[in-house]
Amino acid sequence: MSKAVGIDLGTTFSLIAWMNPASGKPECIPGPYGTTLCPSVVSLDVDGRVVAGEAARRRLLTQPARTIYSAKRLMGRGVEDVEDELKIFPFRIDPESRNVIRVRLGDRAFTPPEVSGYILREVKGWAEEYFHEPVTRAVITVPAYFNDAQRQATKDAGRLAGLEVLRLVNEPTAAALAYGLDRAQRGRVAVYDFGGGTFDISILKLIAAGEGDIYQVLSTCGDTHLGGDDIDNRLLDLAREEILRDWGLDLAPHSQVLQELRKAMIAAKHELSDAEETTVRFLLPEGMAYVRRLTREEFEALIGPIVERTLAPARQALRDAKLKPEEIDEVVMVGGSTRIPLVRRRVEELFRRPPHVELDPDEVVALGAAVQAHILTTGVENALLLDVTPLSLGIETMGGVVAKLIPCNSTIPASAEELFTTGVDNQTGIDLHVLQGERELARDCRSLARFRLPVEPGLAGLARIEVRFTIDANGILQVRAKDLRTGEERSIDVQPSYGLAEPEIERMLIESIDFAEQDFAVRQLIEARNESESILRAAEKSLADPQSAELDSGERARIDAAIAALRLASEGEDYRQVRARIEDLNRETMHLAELLMNRAIASALEGKRVADI
Amino acid sequence: MTSGLRFPTPGIDERTDMHASPSPSTACWNCGGAPGPGHFCAACGKIQPPGDGGYFAFFALPEKLGVDREDLERRYLALSWKLHPDNFVRAGEYERNCSLELSSALNDAYRALCDPVSRAEYLLERHGVRKEGQTKQQAPPELLEEVFELNEWLDELRSAREAGSRGAETSELRERLEGARQAFEEKLAAVDAELGAGFAEWDAATDGGAGDAARGRAMARLNEVLNRRSYIRNLVASVTRELENDA
Ligand SMILES: [Zn+2]
Repeated sequence: MSKAVGIDLGTTFSLIAWMNPASGKPECIPGPYGTTLCPSVVSLDVDGRVVAGEAARRRLLTQPARTIYSAKRLMGRGVEDVEDELKIFPFRIDPESRNVIRVRLGDRAFTPPEVSGYILREVKGWAEEYFHEPVTRAVITVPAYFNDAQRQATKDAGRLAGLEVLRLVNEPTAAALAYGLDRAQRGRVAVYDFGGGTFDISILKLIAAGEGDIYQVLSTCGDTHLGGDDIDNRLLDLAREEILRDWGLDLAPHSQVLQELRKAMIAAKHELSDAEETTVRFLLPEGMAYVRRLTREEFEALIGPIVERTLAPARQALRDAKLKPEEIDEVVMVGGSTRIPLVRRRVEELFRRPPHVELDPDEVVALGAAVQAHILTTGVENALLLDVTPLSLGIETMGGVVAKLIPCNSTIPASAEELFTTGVDNQTGIDLHVLQGERELARDCRSLARFRLPVEPGLAGLARIEVRFTIDANGILQVRAKDLRTGEERSIDVQPSYGLAEPEIERMLIESIDFAEQDFAVRQLIEARNESESILRAAEKSLADPQSAELDSGERARIDAAIAALRLASEGEDYRQVRARIEDLNRETMHLAELLMNRAIASALEGKRVADI
Repeated sequence: MTSGLRFPTPGIDERTDMHASPSPSTACWNCGGAPGPGHFCAACGKIQPPGDGGYFAFFALPEKLGVDREDLERRYLALSWKLHPDNFVRAGEYERNCSLELSSALNDAYRALCDPVSRAEYLLERHGVRKEGQTKQQAPPELLEEVFELNEWLDELRSAREAGSRGAETSELRERLEGARQAFEEKLAAVDAELGAGFAEWDAATDGGAGDAARGRAMARLNEVLNRRSYIRNLVASVTRELENDA
């Protein structure tokens, strides 16, 4: 049996982890760049090849029209849902997309599950490289507050990456599992998960049962539109406003400059986690320099309202769990944004105890997913997760009012049965509209699916159709109907309101099948040769550039040797050799790349496109 | 769009039989043997599809309203260990479906039986005495006068607020409402005591193997107390809401 992995499919970074039998502990697997963080970025090559991770991130600046980041924000959502996001994120939405968004990369359009699928495929590749064997089964984490469509989209992404998704696990629950394994704590735990794009809070009860530990989620709450990105945007806005004020320069049309400025402001944010003050120095077009001293005090005043917005869901989760803040025994911090001192302070004030920060807040979710993957493949031996559904499930009734069938915070799996009949004579079907949300009116809730129960024509009120709605352990809806008069039972083909229909997924799978069917090593070799080709091309192009004259003769000779070695390796059959020579060439050309990059940025700042240089 | 009508409509619920008992165990789907009680086959150990024994039987509990919460939680957690889909990731589709249905039924049953009021409501619904989500919103006769007065005060408060007067002008009215709320909360406590007595009556009838008549009387009484309780609770909630709106 192949190893099962845990994957944290994040907004900004994704990680993959496994349970190391030698240490008995979960560990994150590093990628080719030595870090365990894989940027959640996907880019389409000019030759039609898709790259993901660090290689794609490096193209954000040079090929923004062929590169996408933060695609998680688009998962399971319709065009009208993301209007606000579009003001901040430069997604190029295909004008023909409707309930499933299609993003344009170059001349092709991709759905968010496809984009996420490529990221999953990338980290899956890391694990395969690490284990030297194929990986086919995974637990993938989702924000606790994800709705049905967002979960389904994540599951689809897994399938498209050639993974059997053993389970979707809520991120805060996974984090609690990672901590619990280490500490054997008992009691009530609050998990405060402030990530790049989402905020989640879950309250759990850790129970030591005879069989082992039970992680029972009591309540969960959150905001899928609140994350560290909002803090970055606030900082970026500040800089943009000041630049506009001081020089009358509007950066809106300069998307590359904005990307760079964003990076500079994020760097300042990171520094202020340790330092009391920092200075941003940023070169503007036309040679002006934006120099800004930023104290932690000013930073905190600036982001205070955003941090404050996390406290309302936290209090709500406590109310739903019927607990007071002082009844919480442990607080666990998850997500990069919890490194910010203000966030830690506010959480400590709310729960009246210092939060746990022992585990790396970026890694803890993936570690927990690995624990769950281990449990699912080896048997429930020492831990069991009992999670809840974040949103109430209901159906639309007369007058657009929602009748709740399964309340939010119900332990999953959960189910509800309803009996339906016809309202008029000879009616041939009963239309049902399933929704998720806490509001009373259907139009204020999230549409999950509409479907029609077929009935034999007859007198009004004669039909007896019993419909069973089940939310499974992944938080995904299943519907079954039973005709009580005939005893006939059938599962309902639910056409999701915001998701890929089964035939579409099949088609995408077929499109990627030549890729998936290939033997692992062959695939690795093809990938390595492809990468080798484009790197060789890039290296030659760079060496032809006049800028390369600035290299000293030793550097130049080492590059030429690395190129020759890579050519030789590419003709062989060992993908490891090819990879190793690629790494060599990458290392030798680092300085050259810097020289070219500096000039590219300088040119971009003059308003030229890099492609025109 | 043709809307589906939602039940409940009287007389069609399959589960209105006063003597509804766990459906007699049919043959095990796997080995053909008699599966016996519990959710697994006594012979081959395979998980079985859910029966229709109701929530109490699910936990192997007698159909009594006096429930030891800690005992119920222990039973719930023990069953969760056995029935949860995590145990069946590698099993066949039929077993996975059994696990999904049983564990969702387990969670539903636990949610219903945990809280005394929903526990009593469930019992009455199962015996056809009460319809799900349907409570009489009629003022109990002995409360008519007080309710009438209370509604008048609430109206006064609302019109005062619409006229823009706040704070001092309505303080006397607010005090009166506050007093009424406390009075109704005391009544709620009294109703809860009555509910407790109703629980004891039902449990005694069940223990003593009393006839349908005695059980029916006990359920009718419980239903009346539950309706009254729901009415007063709504009343307290609406007064609280109005006072908060005014604050
Ligand atoms: Zn059997």
